[in-house]
Amino acid sequence: MTLFFRKSIIAATGLFLCIFLIVHLSANCILLLPEDMARGMYNSYSTLLRESPLIKIVAYLLYLSIILHVVYALIVTIKNKRAKPVGYKVSNTKENSSWASQNMGLLGVFILIFIVVHLANFWARIKLGLGEEVGTDSVGNKDVYEVTSHLFHNIYYVLFYSLLMFPLGFHLYHGLKSAVKSLGFYHRKSLLIISKVSLIYAVIVSAMFGIIPFIVYFK
Amino acid sequence: MKITFKIWRQEGPNDKGGFQSYEVNDLTEDMSFLEALDHLNEILVLKNKKVVAFEYDCREGICGQCGVFINGRAHGPHDNMTTCQLHMRSFEDGATITVEPWRARSFPIIKDLIVNRSAFDRIIENGAFISAKTGTAPEANAILISKTVSDRAMDAAACIGCGACVATCKNSSAALFTSAKINHLNGLPQGAPEAHQRVLDMTAQMEKEGFGHCSFTGACEVECPEGISIVNIAEMNARFIKAKIFG
Repeated sequence: MTLFFRKSIIAATGLFLCIFLIVHLSANCILLLPEDMARGMYNSYSTLLRESPLIKIVAYLLYLSIILHVVYALIVTIKNKRAKPVGYKVSNTKENSSWASQNMGLLGVFILIFIVVHLANFWARIKLGLGEEVGTDSVGNKDVYEVTSHLFHNIYYVLFYSLLMFPLGFHLYHGLKSAVKSLGFYHRKSLLIISKVSLIYAVIVSAMFGIIPFIVYFK
Repeated sequence: MKITFKIWRQEGPNDKGGFQSYEVNDLTEDMSFLEALDHLNEILVLKNKKVVAFEYDCREGICGQCGVFINGRAHGPHDNMTTCQLHMRSFEDGATITVEPWRARSFPIIKDLIVNRSAFDRIIENGAFISAKTGTAPEANAILISKTVSDRAMDAAACIGCGACVATCKNSSAALFTSAKINHLNGLPQGAPEAHQRVLDMTAQMEKEGFGHCSFTGACEVECPEGISIVNIAEMNARFIKAKIFG
């Protein structure tokens, strides 16, 4: 186990999760359609996700990625803390680095809290069948739209969901551009472009995830 | 100028240590930061008190000895600078300046502001050299090197091993230092025969010394007196993968 190996695991799983977020966001965009159209599409899409064997493999990869990302981040953080057991009395990190880059662990904890609540609300009910049973729509698909719409009409949940997209945005901004460097990509000009792409990606993804619940709430 | 120095004092490696404040009234803006510390020490000598121990050598920004943490930044408030290049005009009259030693498990404190940086030497010993026959100097044009390659190697070779990268890194990572040393040699034809082994050995020693992981915060390249880019770290990672596959 080397320093490089541990960071590569975090970087590779992180990049995979970045791609996953795009797919997830595109599904959320269905919620922006008029209700009668959105319900049918959203439910058939989620049925496809549950039943396709290919998606099943991807789903397991996803679970594994989240777990590895968190576990290795924890190991790395503990080891880093050991490398700097005594901090400085005065520390002006804001003059030499971004706030996000200095607080990836803290941002990660917020995102983890979000994921746990999010999974309990959707994944546990729909996929594991825990809690209140999910109804079916007119074509017999599980009415996942109803579950989503119900939650997004609860202002506390909407606020929780949307506010936690801020730490996600900061985490993605530093994570994406650093992951490629951790994995050994070192072409200078491309890295400058990747840095800009990370910013655009982080803003779009977090803003879209954060705004959609509000749109559904006021629809 | 009137300055209050708040300086970390520690008798020895096992002493607990703590901050002590010293007020100095007759400093001038033209003094370098180290001259101000010299002046403080002269006052302490006259008062029959122990002087503040700090390291220095060339005092012209090329040796890398004078590393201390000043007001929350390695080598003081400016980017890409050594402590000896810092002058008192960078501070306001009446200011309090907090001076701390480098903080890292791999850089144990010897006394006051002096830390032991021999962990860097041991990383160097594990591969930052080339095996070549010594004797008369070889013909300068025997190995042709392009300007781009030589410039890159020289940029990395500029590292003076001051330790600011480790000091400023929240994880005390030595990735910038180690990558500079590796890329300097691995980028040149002279370093090619031992290229893979060099990467594996030096990174292994870096880990053994107890340095942390690189989070690419970029703080190191801002504090590095030579402005060595963190892209070097990404390049080291690429060389590491290559060494694992082909080495």
